[in-house]
Amino acid sequence: MNKLAIFATILLAFGVRNAQALNVFACEPEWGSLVHELAGDAATVDAGTTALQDVHVIEAKPSLIAKVRRADLVVCSGADLEIGWLPQLIRQAGNPKVASGAGYFMASDQITTLEKPSKLDRSEGDIHPQGNPHFQMDPYRVLAVAKALAARLGELDPGKAATYQQHLADFTTRWQTAIKGWEAKAAPLKGRKVVVHHMSWIYLENWLGMEQIGALEPKPGVPPTSAHLASLIDVTKNAHAFAILRAAYQDPKPGDWLSEHTGVPAVTLPFTVGGDDQSKDLFGLFDSTIDKLLAVAK
Amino acid sequence: MNWDGLDIGILGPACIAGLLVLSTHVPLGQQVLARGIIFIDLAIAQVAALGVILAQALGVDEHGYGVEIAAAIAALAGGALLTWTDRKWPDYQEPLIGTLFVLAATGSLLLLANNPHGGEHLKDLLVGQILWVSASQLVPVAVLSALLLGAMWVWRTRLSGILFYGLFALAITASVQLVGVYLVFASLIIPALATTGVEGKRRLVYAYATGIAGYVTGLVLSAVLDLPSGAMIVWTLAGCGIIARLLIASASRSRAETPASAARAR
Repeated sequence: MNKLAIFATILLAFGVRNAQALNVFACEPEWGSLVHELAGDAATVDAGTTALQDVHVIEAKPSLIAKVRRADLVVCSGADLEIGWLPQLIRQAGNPKVASGAGYFMASDQITTLEKPSKLDRSEGDIHPQGNPHFQMDPYRVLAVAKALAARLGELDPGKAATYQQHLADFTTRWQTAIKGWEAKAAPLKGRKVVVHHMSWIYLENWLGMEQIGALEPKPGVPPTSAHLASLIDVTKNAHAFAILRAAYQDPKPGDWLSEHTGVPAVTLPFTVGGDDQSKDLFGLFDSTIDKLLAVAK
Repeated sequence: MNWDGLDIGILGPACIAGLLVLSTHVPLGQQVLARGIIFIDLAIAQVAALGVILAQALGVDEHGYGVEIAAAIAALAGGALLTWTDRKWPDYQEPLIGTLFVLAATGSLLLLANNPHGGEHLKDLLVGQILWVSASQLVPVAVLSALLLGAMWVWRTRLSGILFYGLFALAITASVQLVGVYLVFASLIIPALATTGVEGKRRLVYAYATGIAGYVTGLVLSAVLDLPSGAMIVWTLAGCGIIARLLIASASRSRAETPASAARAR
């Protein structure tokens, strides 16, 4: 009898999906976390990637196709971040609900991106013609995405539209309070200079008023040359950068190398939900990011 | 355990892609093994990738057939070069192939310094993603495989020199883009290696059976265990190769020990 109860619990926990719930496929964990804030139990969220993966490239697994196949809504960063795999994934899943229209939600369509090139030139590296897609590190843009996402959830599931709006209002209040706290806490970072690994921190820098003085990958996706590294050592030392920033998924070697040659500490930031122990949700992500920056800013 | 991925709609196209690759690679693999030039597929694939990157540097559109043609031309040129070295320095063919591999790979890196978008194609060519295969990709590969198999059949008695390297270059260029270098290498070498010592047509049948078993169990396991399909298939191919080897060994031992009883049983 006891065994039967355990078995039933396991079935309930894993086997039976809530038939009423919306199935949401989130390309990145930060959007999965946002859907969870806005929908609660009204949606089942599958995340396509984790914080320790490079979202530009992912391995094809059968489960990914299965997740997109049963999804009612796909939520991704967009701006060509997932261009290497999302189109194939959606084509392979053959699910018309998420191929376009209401079931296809690109966060980049809800905000304005930075670093949108005025002209497309291959010589500038692996640039994104639709601007820099790593905008999850700007809390104001996250809030704008949340508003649009709550409306989209209501459109797909009109019966619960009021619930989504209620969750949105609650999230907005908590988020705005949190932003005030983060901004107050991060005030000492204003005007400080950083060197980055990949060009993925522009939104965080703009928000906190930090200045980016160099990058290990001068052109995104292209390995640095020795001349570039030599000048980067000079710049990092002379301009008094306080940190070398990299994301949890990135190879620590280049940052450690620069740190050794300059004495400037390299900091691994979570970059998205799940990137470290503290980043269990969007709030934890920003808490952890600011704590880690302040720890080396002394 | 994950049963969601166990869906013919998801695994079907990948399985067909695998069978198409096997159809040409099993017979070619026996040639490759007999000649002792097992790294030739890596070299040809790298040369094809180099061709793609060169074409883009020269302004060929990165989508469409221009890229495919560039890859095929580069691969055929690489095949011609290897034919020439094979004739000129037959004893050093394997080290020369290795050198061609590293030159093509690093040549791509040097060119990529100014053409970052080629990097995506380079990665596609090398890693390949068998699950992303679409029906529109399968049709041209099916036609090409049929042509290559026909050519191999027609010239089966004198499949050497430029004919072998040319056919090989075309087969590799198509299959690498479909399933990636790791799977191409495994499809070529493992079935051939598992069936050494078996003679004639029976060897081909055993090698095909090994390959098909490897692909099917690999796809099913990758769905159930939720692991990347390409890497999983490489391991199941190796597993099936070992099982095939053991079966062949035990069959030949029982034939050798009791020839009379085996004859009677027949």
